[in-house]
Amino acid sequence: MKNSKETTRYCGNCDSHNSYEYPNKVFCSTRYAQNKKPIVETLWCCSDWNLVSQECYCVKEALKEKKLQARQR
Amino acid sequence: MRRKDYLQNPVEHMKITAPLTVDQLMRQFKNSGSFGAGRVSAACDVYEKMLRDKECTVFFALSGALVPAGMRKLVADLIRSRLVDVVVSTGASMVHDAIEAVGGRHYKGSWLDDDYELYKYHIFRIYDVLVPEEGFVRLDYRLAEVYNQIADERKGESLSSREFAWELGKRLDDPNSILRSAYEMDVPVFMPAVRDSEFGFIHWLHSSQLDRKNVLNVDAFKEVPEICGICSRSPKNGMIVLGGGVPRNTVQSAALASKKGLDYAVVVTMDRPETGGLSGSTLKETVSWGKVKGEADSVMVIGDALVIFPLMAASVLERLGAEFKRAPFLKQVKQGKK
Repeated sequence: MKNSKETTRYCGNCDSHNSYEYPNKVFCSTRYAQNKKPIVETLWCCSDWNLVSQECYCVKEALKEKKLQARQR
Repeated sequence: MRRKDYLQNPVEHMKITAPLTVDQLMRQFKNSGSFGAGRVSAACDVYEKMLRDKECTVFFALSGALVPAGMRKLVADLIRSRLVDVVVSTGASMVHDAIEAVGGRHYKGSWLDDDYELYKYHIFRIYDVLVPEEGFVRLDYRLAEVYNQIADERKGESLSSREFAWELGKRLDDPNSILRSAYEMDVPVFMPAVRDSEFGFIHWLHSSQLDRKNVLNVDAFKEVPEICGICSRSPKNGMIVLGGGVPRNTVQSAALASKKGLDYAVVVTMDRPETGGLSGSTLKETVSWGKVKGEADSVMVIGDALVIFPLMAASVLERLGAEFKRAPFLKQVKQGKK
């Protein structure tokens, strides 16, 4: 596991994220508690970011989809 | 007993011909009368007796992962057909019901699937059933809002798990949902361990909201007089247990507390009695507590409830016939007919 200094910060690798519309959208429990819109883009990020303890494929797959969409345009 | 008393009932060999209905198969099992076949056919007999007994209230205790594995509609249909009077369930079973009610699905997988890869894809495994995390998360999001509504309406009043289930059922619009069917048919659903499920974590989400004034309260003790009252008012009580755990103990304890003991009991489980745990305890052992009557019609089937119970339900429905109408005793009391 990379440490937080080496990792590009995304909602998809933050410990508050849960899958909402895999892989592009995640549900953020921290934002929900703050009465903010809890559904955010996987590749977004905010100041409350905290590295997830066990990585998933969200960021990797969201980046892949983004690339694919860019190519299709 | 005399020697000849042991040798009264010879084993009749099964005759399997095509076509064969489920009940015909169960009757062949009864001819054998042995091992699992004998027990399943006896379980059909006991369930049929419960349903034909006009004074009996049928408790249905549900645990394990039967709802995600495909038994959801069967339970909802039994509720709608009035072949179950009271549901006592784990919170998790109703969570999986609610997941599908808000649009989620469960998927066929394999117990050999790569679990670390599943983790990375946000997919959860229940033996060979898969649930994408979105199912839970969408439920969390929707129900956290429902909790807000209930809390604002009830303003600090504590709900029993039965009242909580009723409030949920009222707000789900899926006719195949267990909670919705129970709400529409006025069948109580008790979830004595409600906190030990996603419902508990949704509560955390709901109560963690900034500036939230009213928080939903579910009082675990409030349902005790409710379920004991049902047992107490009903002249006879029967239970169908799939699995065991807290739901089984809740029904049995209510029967004990109302000083009646159950008149009918069917338990379908894979658990063993040797550990002393309740789920595997024999019905004979349960008699020693007064939870099941000594003369009760009872049988314990050792097997996978996902296989056994649909067979039992199909056989009993066939025996009852399409014209069979059941008026649950407690409903008649409510309507002043008793």
